[in-house]
Amino acid sequence: MTFDELVSRRLVFTVGKGGVGRTTVSMAIGLEAARRGKRVLMVELEGARGLESAIAEQRKARPTAPELKRIGYIEVEGKRALEEYLGLVIPVRRLLKTIFSSNVYQYFVAAAPGLKELMTVGKIWYEVERSDATAPDLVVVDGPATGHSLQYLRMPKAAAEAFPVGLVHREAVRVFSLLQDAKSTAVAIVTTPEEMPVNETGEIYRGLGELGLPRGLLVVNRIHEAPLEPGEIEDLARAAGKPARTKGADEELFAEAVRVADGEAGWARLNLDNVARLALDVPIPTVLLPYVFAEEFGGSHVDGLSRRLAAQLDATPGGGAS
Amino acid sequence: MSEDPARRLAELVRSHRILVCAGSGGVGKTTTAASLALWGAMQGRHAIVLTIDPARRLADSLGIGPIGNTPVRVSPETFERAGIAVPGTLNAMMLDQKGSWDELVERHAPTPEARERILENRFYKQLSQSFAGSQEYMAVEQLGELDSSGKYDLIVIDTPPTQHALDFLEAPDRLLDFLDRKIVRWFVRPSMSAGWSAFQTMNKTVGFILRKIEEVTGVGTFAEVSDFFESMSSLFDGFEARVARVTELLRDHGTAFLLVAGPDEQVLDQVEYLAEQMSSRRMPLRGVVMNRIYPLFQGTGVQGASPEEIATRLAGPAERALGAKPPGEMLARLARNFCAYQERAHGDALRIEGFVQGLPAGVPFVQVPNLPRDIHDLAGLTALHPFLLGGTDGAQAGRETGPG
Repeated sequence: MTFDELVSRRLVFTVGKGGVGRTTVSMAIGLEAARRGKRVLMVELEGARGLESAIAEQRKARPTAPELKRIGYIEVEGKRALEEYLGLVIPVRRLLKTIFSSNVYQYFVAAAPGLKELMTVGKIWYEVERSDATAPDLVVVDGPATGHSLQYLRMPKAAAEAFPVGLVHREAVRVFSLLQDAKSTAVAIVTTPEEMPVNETGEIYRGLGELGLPRGLLVVNRIHEAPLEPGEIEDLARAAGKPARTKGADEELFAEAVRVADGEAGWARLNLDNVARLALDVPIPTVLLPYVFAEEFGGSHVDGLSRRLAAQLDATPGGGAS
Repeated sequence: MSEDPARRLAELVRSHRILVCAGSGGVGKTTTAASLALWGAMQGRHAIVLTIDPARRLADSLGIGPIGNTPVRVSPETFERAGIAVPGTLNAMMLDQKGSWDELVERHAPTPEARERILENRFYKQLSQSFAGSQEYMAVEQLGELDSSGKYDLIVIDTPPTQHALDFLEAPDRLLDFLDRKIVRWFVRPSMSAGWSAFQTMNKTVGFILRKIEEVTGVGTFAEVSDFFESMSSLFDGFEARVARVTELLRDHGTAFLLVAGPDEQVLDQVEYLAEQMSSRRMPLRGVVMNRIYPLFQGTGVQGASPEEIATRLAGPAERALGAKPPGEMLARLARNFCAYQERAHGDALRIEGFVQGLPAGVPFVQVPNLPRDIHDLAGLTALHPFLLGGTDGAQAGRETGPG
């Protein structure tokens, strides 16, 4: 799959365990799509703030970059989405006011299972399907951590079953069929090459499969590279372990440099094993991104990763490392 | 009390019965919780670690295979094989969301008919599977159960990531709101089962609003909601009393809240927010664990040095150690890696410094370096003890802290 093919979908939804860099990958996909001329809407779900700051960092790091003009942002909140939706269905303001201010309504919203999640997904599709002058070509959703992501994606199906008839049923069925369509949606799974995130990635992959949702892309983030060959590390570690005849600042520095290199090599080995596991467990187009050493990870690093992600996909048009 | 933060954290674990570990995802929260519980068991306590994270990470990290909604004891043989002396017991429990609701209904339904009616209700089925927050309610409920069982004298809870950790803190209050009789009454009136129209005689506005909402959502929904609440009302008395007790439990002197974090800007932001929320709920922060730190090299003349300068300084010691002149290109790679690592380490040090400034005085702050290994077994959990809890008392400190 080339990058253009990925973003020819109208919705890219990222999922993954907490802390693996989902927001960074969402931003990277959005940035490159915008660079290629797409109007991109970046979507964040209720309560999260990561994407908003990631966009702000882009604007700060590269204020004149033309692609940033094509990037929009919204936060989707279930309760507000429901109110917006009711506003479309009940076009009389006074009546809406009466409903929204009633206790029964407040309670219904709080207690109705999954209603907020359903409305959130509904609102996202409203944005996807808009066709006015400012409508986006591509919507990128920075999903919440795994368990909750699947909750969102499962919701239209659950709602279609819970509400056998009525408007919600019709909407839910429609939204779910769009989510299932690989031509309009791609779910991008993000992970780091470590044991537990990889386990969870396998679960996500199967969970998405059970829901019949299109598993478009796997992004393996923060891969450490060994700075030295295994033989070199062994020699150096053995040498550095010997009691030094001269004890000086440079000796200490050498010992530390070897220790740090050994640590990196350890991470690299571990990462490699997990990348191999992923290749077996999650056989879909895969992008490998490096760990970025920086004093503080910021806008320019995300920009670099976004170019790298696209270049890797474009270099393997047959389907990536699958 | 010692000034060493790890010693102070050890003291904290010793003097508390319940530890609540909160923080963002991906910072080693589950691992930290499991490591603390193991340490307790090694000190002779009957420890249990409870995780409510949807992923089956705890089972992974204890190497005891998938565990369900019942406590599973780590076998003495497992400890023996790992070469760890454990005079107490270590138990683990993973909260299965669906399982806990069903269990609760099973346990508290007054009659078999009532039980069946609840379990078969479509609204209930949805609620128990996907109602955001129900997991948190059940965690609190389970905490109460574990505490009153009297089987454990150390309960360590691994809460869901930040945003949902708030749900956890709020769970008792929200559950009480949820059961607020004034509201529930609307739903459990027998007339409600007949549908919204019954409401019109009772309250014109409510009936009208319900009709509107029902038009949008789907016919018959309210009858089912009503049926659900009516069935559940038989469980409510027990609920309320237990929730009140657990709320007290969370504010008890025997309960300590720990934050688990990592030195990334975003993570620290979330953790700061969480700490504020905790204190406003009278659940004061007692300790902070900072995982996955890149330690800064303390030697001289390194800060700001270029890889070339570092390589030059490495040449002498490398040649003396190896007994031969090493290839310059290898030294360059060694130096580049060192500098990259130091850059990150310097950032970590500054972020941590800023973060610590904002911490309440007297809260122990322990730092765990980014160990180049996955921690998913007992050996891995004990490897954390020297960093978390310091010293050598009871724990096999110093074991396996190097690359795995």
